[in-house]
Amino acid sequence: MKKVMLLTIFAALMMISSAAVAQTASGTLTVTATVNGSINLVFNSDASGVALSSGAGTNAATLAFGNVSAFGPISAGIVRSTTATTFTVSSAVDVLVSKTNSASANYTLKAQLGAADAVNTWTVGGIAVSNAAQSTLTATGTYAANSNFPVAITVPFTTASGTLISNTINYVATAN
Amino acid sequence: MLRRQIAGIRGAAMMLLLLSGLPLLAQNTATGVINATLVNKNGIALIFDSDPGGLALGAAGTSAVSADFGLISAFGPLSGGVTRPAVGPASFTVRTLFDVNVFQGGLNSTGYTLAANLATAAPIGLNYKVDAVTLTTVLQTIQTNGTYNIDVAHNLDLVVNTAAPGAGGPAVNTPITTTINFTATAN
Repeated sequence: MKKVMLLTIFAALMMISSAAVAQTASGTLTVTATVNGSINLVFNSDASGVALSSGAGTNAATLAFGNVSAFGPISAGIVRSTTATTFTVSSAVDVLVSKTNSASANYTLKAQLGAADAVNTWTVGGIAVSNAAQSTLTATGTYAANSNFPVAITVPFTTASGTLISNTINYVATAN
Repeated sequence: MLRRQIAGIRGAAMMLLLLSGLPLLAQNTATGVINATLVNKNGIALIFDSDPGGLALGAAGTSAVSADFGLISAFGPLSGGVTRPAVGPASFTVRTLFDVNVFQGGLNSTGYTLAANLATAAPIGLNYKVDAVTLTTVLQTIQTNGTYNIDVAHNLDLVVNTAAPGAGGPAVNTPITTTINFTATAN
C-alpha cells in the first residue's frame, strides 16, 4: 500500500514538473534605419481669397479665377485693379511649408512659370514670375504657418473677350 | 623403418588437412546486433521570413535576421517594402511587414504566444512597435494564439519624432540600429 502511494506521488510530481517547463523558442530581429530631415510644401485656400478648386492641402492645386473683366462684376475673393491699359486680378493663396528632423530656421521659396506668357504679367507675392528663371518670393519663410503669397495676373485691355488664360506656377521651397 | 614411413604419411596428411582448411576459414562470417534507441525530444523553434509586402530580410529563414529600412523621412522617398502610414505634426511612422514562423514537434500544444522586447532602450526620438505594441526592454505579448507552421505576418513600425536632433528628435543622416528579441512559448 505504501509503495503504491509513493509511486502515485512520484508520478504526480513528474507530471507537474513536465507541465511547468514551458517550451520556448527565441529569435532576434535587428532593425536599422537612417533618419533624414525633410520639408514639405502644400497649398491651402486663404480665407480672403478664391478657394482652391482642387488640391487644397496638397502640393498640386488649382486656382480658378473664373470669368474676369476690367469693369464687370467679379467673383468673391478676387481683388481687382485697373490702369489705363490693363487690369489685374489677384487672389490670396496660402503656402504651408513644414519641416521634420531638421534644425533649419526658415526656408527660401521660389516660383517659376511653367510656360512663357508674352501677353500677360504674372506675380506671386508681389514678385514678378516668368518661365525664364526662378524668382525668389522669400528668403526667410516661416515653417508650419500658412503664408499668403497672392497670385496676380495683369491682362491687357487688348485681350479678346473669352480668351482663356492658363499657366502652371512651380514652387520650390529650400531649407536654409 | 615402417614406423618412420607411417609417421611421414601422417605428417603429410596433417599438412594437407591444414592447408585445405585455410580457404574455408576465410569464408567465416561474424554477426552482431546493435540495439539503437532514440529519445524524441519535443520542442519548438522560431524563424523569420520576408513578407511579400515588406522588406527583404537579411538571413531570412533563420532565427537571427535583419531589416534595413534604409533612408526614412516624413516626406521623402522610401525604400521598397516600406510604407508611411502616418505623418503627424509631432511624429511620422514608417512600416514594413515581416513574417514569424513557429514550428513544433512532439507537443500537444495547439498554438503559441509571441512576445517581444528591445534588447536595449530605444534610441532618442524613435519608438518601435510590433503590431499595436510599443516595445520596451520588458517582454510584452504580441500575440496569444499564434498558429504553428505557417508564416504569420506582423507589422514593424518605427515611430519617428519629427523634432530636430537635440530637441527630442533622433540623430539624422546616420544609421540607427536596434535589436528586438522575440520569444515564442507553446500554449
